[in-house]
Amino acid sequence: MRRTTKQHEITQLLAEWRDGNQSALDELYPLVYDELHRLARRYMSRERGGHTLQTTALINEAYVRLVDQKNVVWANRAHFFAISAQIMRRILIDHARRHAYAKRGGGAQQVTLDEAASITPGIGSDLLRLDEALKSLAEMDPRRSQVVELRYFGGLNNEEIAGVLHVSENTVTRDWNMARAWLYQQLTESAGN
Amino acid sequence: MSPERWQQVSRIFRSAISLEDEARKVFVAEQCGEDESLRSAVEKLIDSHHRADEEDFIGGRAAEDGAALLIVENDEPDAPRFTTGQQFGSYIILDRLGIGGMGEVYLARDSRLGRTVALKVLAADVSADKRRMKRFRQEAKVASSLNQPNILTIFEFGEADGLTFLATEYIDGDTLRDYLRGRRAKLTEILDITIQILAALDAAHDARIVHRDIKPENVMVRRRDRVVKVLDFGLAKVTEKRMHGHIDRDSQHETATAAFKTAPGMLMGTINYMSPEQAQARDVDERTDIWSTGVILYEMLTGVMPFTGPTTSHTLVQIIEKEPLPFNKTLTGQVPDELQRIVRKAMAKSLDERYQTAKDMLIDLRHLKRQLEGTVEGSSERDVGTKKKRVLLFAIAAMVVFTIGLFAFSIWRASPAPSTVSTNAPAAPVAVPERVLTYWITVQKFRDGKYQKPFTVAGEINFEARDEIRLNVRSPQNGHLYVLNEGPREGTNTPEFVIFFPSPTANEGSSLLTAGQEVQIPEQTWLRFDAQAGVERLWLVFTEQAVPEFESVKQFANTQTRGLITDAAQSKSIQDFLTSHSNTKPEFEKSDTLTTLKANGRILLYPVRLEHH
Repeated sequence: MRRTTKQHEITQLLAEWRDGNQSALDELYPLVYDELHRLARRYMSRERGGHTLQTTALINEAYVRLVDQKNVVWANRAHFFAISAQIMRRILIDHARRHAYAKRGGGAQQVTLDEAASITPGIGSDLLRLDEALKSLAEMDPRRSQVVELRYFGGLNNEEIAGVLHVSENTVTRDWNMARAWLYQQLTESAGN
Repeated sequence: MSPERWQQVSRIFRSAISLEDEARKVFVAEQCGEDESLRSAVEKLIDSHHRADEEDFIGGRAAEDGAALLIVENDEPDAPRFTTGQQFGSYIILDRLGIGGMGEVYLARDSRLGRTVALKVLAADVSADKRRMKRFRQEAKVASSLNQPNILTIFEFGEADGLTFLATEYIDGDTLRDYLRGRRAKLTEILDITIQILAALDAAHDARIVHRDIKPENVMVRRRDRVVKVLDFGLAKVTEKRMHGHIDRDSQHETATAAFKTAPGMLMGTINYMSPEQAQARDVDERTDIWSTGVILYEMLTGVMPFTGPTTSHTLVQIIEKEPLPFNKTLTGQVPDELQRIVRKAMAKSLDERYQTAKDMLIDLRHLKRQLEGTVEGSSERDVGTKKKRVLLFAIAAMVVFTIGLFAFSIWRASPAPSTVSTNAPAAPVAVPERVLTYWITVQKFRDGKYQKPFTVAGEINFEARDEIRLNVRSPQNGHLYVLNEGPREGTNTPEFVIFFPSPTANEGSSLLTAGQEVQIPEQTWLRFDAQAGVERLWLVFTEQAVPEFESVKQFANTQTRGLITDAAQSKSIQDFLTSHSNTKPEFEKSDTLTTLKANGRILLYPVRLEHH
């Protein structure tokens, strides 16, 4: 029953947000964050199984769980995906940031054990740098930055992104190419100099 | 970039990326007109676009790339999974050796074979992480395909009780990092360790495997006998055979991707061993491992890493642009100049100037080691003389180097001018119009599928196909040495010449030998006889003054053409020189192991005939 209440609440908040109520987003955000975070962790901690962690699947699952399907128009779904992508980004960046400060364990090194200790913060710092670059991009070109967010963090395909942003698929492809090239340039330059 | 500029770049970029190379350049140039900075911005972005495409930059999903982040903090790394005596698959756990992000390492007994192993048991999140699993599987696959005493043996990669594990040879010892901590290793020990690392790399490279992550943490020293083991082939890469002018697209791609994905992670202290090409995410081959070995060698000798900085970026700049502190500026004891040369050559930023194979570096180090142990052939008296002269030579070189503020110098340009050296070198025997040169040949024969121990001969013998030889030369005099191979004429009147000495990799590129100095030709590799029978001639030219005809061609003696003189006019002038001076036949004296040539005048010219059947 609580689920239904929550579903109802989120569906309602989505509708309000779509209608321009910004404070609805403030309420929506932590609810979706918690759900996505929980789902992501659950995906990860499933031992083995060889699955791949699909962000789309993750967000879809969150969507099914959080939104009352019967009373939602498609636009709400698009909004949900958009906000979920943003939230996935936030979740990962939060973790990356926390991780960057975490102490690293030592231990005898019979067989090198430090790979993970080095790889994980590696991903973390990559993500942090990407996040920073994406922020700079958003200042110049908010739409292109959003395309990257939806695709990379949200796991949406171009068609879905086109739907969320109300542009053609071709535009999404072009935006993606330009944004990705620019981000690549930013990241490789900051790594090299 | 201003939003207007951004729009402008974006508009041109959008249309340009769908065009082919040439058309694209034209289009961009057209669109940008006089605006050079716009053109450059667009071109750069297009280049990034292609590279991002090739590397599949952010092509996956963030949640997958960052999956490990979501889970790691939840682990309780300190609680051992197994207790002593517990059974895991066919292994009995004896002790826990360590713990890290990848999982735990146990000392265990394989109950089937009764042997003790190191058992790396992967953490659940690692098993679930495709990329790390790929790396892990790769490590197992690559390392188990290599069977060399200096490479950690992998016994088994498998699963038990739903956990993935890797069973390897157990080494009771320390990583080189720990081994060196707080102590200064003796020179012979340093050479020993480096030689063993190189032996491991040589085997890996033979199997076309590049390790790509050679660092002290990946080298173990066994306590009981100080045998060195190279581990962690997790980043290793199987390469295409390296060829001149050939770029291994695949490895280039992989490396650049890896640079994005793992380079920042190397912050944890491993970035310091990266080669310049790795630091720039360029294509990487065997020579990257040689660089890293050079860095380790430098560090063992001086106690400090050659390239460090307060941040990753600083370190990368150091690697790419800066020369390490010269040995005489570090708190190091005496480092033999030959060893300094070896280190410099291993850490040459230019791939062409670096050792080309691990074997070459290995041979140089072995030779040096024998020399230091005083077992090198020849009288010890001569060695002492040589050493003194070399020390002085180095002192001069060091001054030159110090003045220009560089540690290593580019081979052709900065080698000390011959005149400087000869006037400062110990006095040569009074200049008599006579030239004396001694040579002998080192031969290794191919038998039972491998090369036998090399032996030396005084001169010409009949060689067989696959025999490998080296020519060794020394003189009691100072002088300029040129060694040329005259190839078959193949119907034309102009023979083909290949200049073997000087070469960019021998004698710092100089033709000048000092009295008593021995050179080996080729310096790093062997001359191998092919299956075709015939006669080859090696011209030995030893002169008091530099010979302009030869000095002018030494720039051709690079790795691109392997010393082959392709310019017809050059060949002609060499031929003329040889013809005009070959009437002065030197006398020769043969002992069992040496041939000594003596010629009147200031030029000695002698063709060594190499017949093979």
